[in-house]
Amino acid sequence: MGLDTLSNSLKDAMKKLAGKTVIDRAAVDELVRDLQRALLSSDVNVKLVMELSKQIKARSLDENLPKGINAREHVLRIVYQELVNLVGKEAEFSLKPQKILMAGLQGSGKTTTTGKLCRYFQRKGLKVGAIGADNFRPGAYAQLETLCKKINVPSYGDPKEKDAVKIVKDGLAALKDVDVVIVDTAGRHALEDDLIDEITEVNAYLKPDHRWLVIDAALGQAARDQAKRFHEAIGIDGVIVTKMDGTAKGGGAMSAVAETQSGIVFIGNGETIDDLERFDPNGFISRLLGMGDLKALVEKAEESINAEDVDVNAMLRGKFTLNDMYKQLEAVQKMGPLKQVLSMLPMGNLNVPSDALDGTADKMKKFRIIMDSMTPQELDEPALINTSRMMRVAKGSGSSVEEVRDLIKYYKMMQKTLKGFRGNRMAMGKMMKQMQKGGMGPMGPM
Amino acid sequence: MFEGLKNKLGLGKKKNPIPETEAPVPAAVETIPSPQPEEKKAPGFLNKIKTLVVEHEFVLSEKDIEESLFELQMVLLESDVAYPVAEAITEHMKKELVGTHRKLRESADDVVTDALRHAIEKVLGEGFDLVSYIKNHEKPVKILFTGVNGTGKTTSVAKIAHYLQSQGLSVVVGAGDTFRAGAIEQIRVHCERLGIKLIAHQEGADPSAVLYDTVEYAKAHKTDVVLADSAGRFHNRVNLMNQLEKIKRVMKPDLVFYVDEAVAGNDAVIRAEEFEKTVSTDGVILTKVDMDPKGGAAISIAYTIGKPLVFLGVGQGYDDMKPFTPSLIIDEIFGDD
Repeated sequence: MGLDTLSNSLKDAMKKLAGKTVIDRAAVDELVRDLQRALLSSDVNVKLVMELSKQIKARSLDENLPKGINAREHVLRIVYQELVNLVGKEAEFSLKPQKILMAGLQGSGKTTTTGKLCRYFQRKGLKVGAIGADNFRPGAYAQLETLCKKINVPSYGDPKEKDAVKIVKDGLAALKDVDVVIVDTAGRHALEDDLIDEITEVNAYLKPDHRWLVIDAALGQAARDQAKRFHEAIGIDGVIVTKMDGTAKGGGAMSAVAETQSGIVFIGNGETIDDLERFDPNGFISRLLGMGDLKALVEKAEESINAEDVDVNAMLRGKFTLNDMYKQLEAVQKMGPLKQVLSMLPMGNLNVPSDALDGTADKMKKFRIIMDSMTPQELDEPALINTSRMMRVAKGSGSSVEEVRDLIKYYKMMQKTLKGFRGNRMAMGKMMKQMQKGGMGPMGPM
Repeated sequence: MFEGLKNKLGLGKKKNPIPETEAPVPAAVETIPSPQPEEKKAPGFLNKIKTLVVEHEFVLSEKDIEESLFELQMVLLESDVAYPVAEAITEHMKKELVGTHRKLRESADDVVTDALRHAIEKVLGEGFDLVSYIKNHEKPVKILFTGVNGTGKTTSVAKIAHYLQSQGLSVVVGAGDTFRAGAIEQIRVHCERLGIKLIAHQEGADPSAVLYDTVEYAKAHKTDVVLADSAGRFHNRVNLMNQLEKIKRVMKPDLVFYVDEAVAGNDAVIRAEEFEKTVSTDGVILTKVDMDPKGGAAISIAYTIGKPLVFLGVGQGYDDMKPFTPSLIIDEIFGDD
């Protein structure tokens, strides 16, 4: 089912409320129905959805319309507030020496996330170490060790040792010099009593500062019962949602949050070790509803690129040259796949050709090398590039004329895409305003 | 397994899921002293009705069942049947039920249960007899396993290798997941424990090359089955999906098995569709069925791609891989107890 259709119908429902001075019961009903569909399709717990709809309906119809705002804004605000309640706040932690215990179902991504967390704390300037207490899955420690070695973080594990508590004990001794210890554990689920007992023992011995539950974004209604059992066993105080780079919406994580009375700590959104970001309720809600998320994009951009790296204004004014594309490619390299970045933008009704977005890292690298062989004039005025120039560029960059042609084709596609962007003035204007403010309105541009 | 769905549907308890349609003459109900549920009416009541409307037929209207269908949809959703699939099933049932003439004596319970059973039976299909497929096919039979990250491909390959071996077939495994750290080590340990030949290259090697070598090995050694593991990949990564196509081109699998987990929610539908579109699968393996007794994902995936379920992974041991038969699920949901 097309999620775009869903968010569009949600937008339509919103539109019907626009300009109304009195809240229309039928319009609210329709909106709530669409909202239900969106949330249920995103794996939010059925009971939570029903409670939420009841709240929204009651508040929209009962609360007086405050002066100065229209019906649409009023309902929108209620919807947003209720959604924020549902999603919960981000779970807090501090950058001090601490111990963290990872828990979760098989295949949810605990080991990968442990590696990513090491990287996170390392970048924050702390000394980190990882203990691999998963002695059940073959290769689990080899996996953790490989990840840690890549970023020069010490790790401890002993696949032959049957006792997880003993591994943790020896690991703490081996890693006594580090500030932050992250303990990876074997995957287990709620119905495996002996394994739940095991993690209870590890928890009792380790006395961790945090016990984080790793939840696969695709996890469905089962999330609630699973989280409940883990919470009863060890007291979960934070949830990490993994695999958000797929198409899953992460609604299951909300059941986990509700069940554990905690919040989401991190979002895992890619296969490289840097693909871990702090949870942002706004972004999460946008995704649940299938609408763009501006705030995460802005934050991500701030972290990895300087303001002058990409001249968004020039791009939008219509001058998009190879120079801009070069900068863009550089920036994208830092920010992750373009598709991921664009998916955060509020442009639901903009159809970007998927092959325009799916540049593999290699292809992008190649493009940059080719552009390095162009003259400044060519970069600024791509129309100059004729066949003989193409041949020169190809020779200079050690590529084929075909590849240079590919690059020009890609450039034209990007240019066209940005034109479409400009056509969508309303959304753009709003987006620019938001970017300058550095914040985000209730639900992003509708 | 599937107890959740069953309990929620109230099938075990014989609760009447259609309220009130059973009582066309509500006034008469009060005259019955017995507190029994309506559909198990005392003969006296039935006889009375009979004399009034002998063999009279009762036509179900949309309004009669609207509420129960909504409830059914909620139950399906709670059991992790994806939203569009739950919608399709209730829609299908509505079509089947509305306007049907049902004899007054026939309980509404049975009518709805039958309709649901038909709907789910149709969706789940007949399963797939892998062993007889292999026996009737030119050797080696090459099977490629694919799916998104963390669904249990590597573990399933090991379990299925063990199963086929116990059926008297010779097996070789190809370590086609050269991407995930530790993946080769994982399958190597499994194969060592099970005494199965493994063909592996280094981490980061071209998976097509590994799997090509595996096929060559099988041909040279007259091995019956090649099981090809592959790295988990998200269906929205065109380059990874292209890599999968290349693997397919190079090793020419006879069967492509799509692996997904029973605990997956709505995304199960989206990704199954995408995998079906790009690599066209021949069968589905549902893992982690022991984790979630509701099992809606089985229905979602089977409905979406219309390919048979082949195996269900039901636990952590090597024996915990059960060949799928429709009765395995149908009986769980509708069985009398």
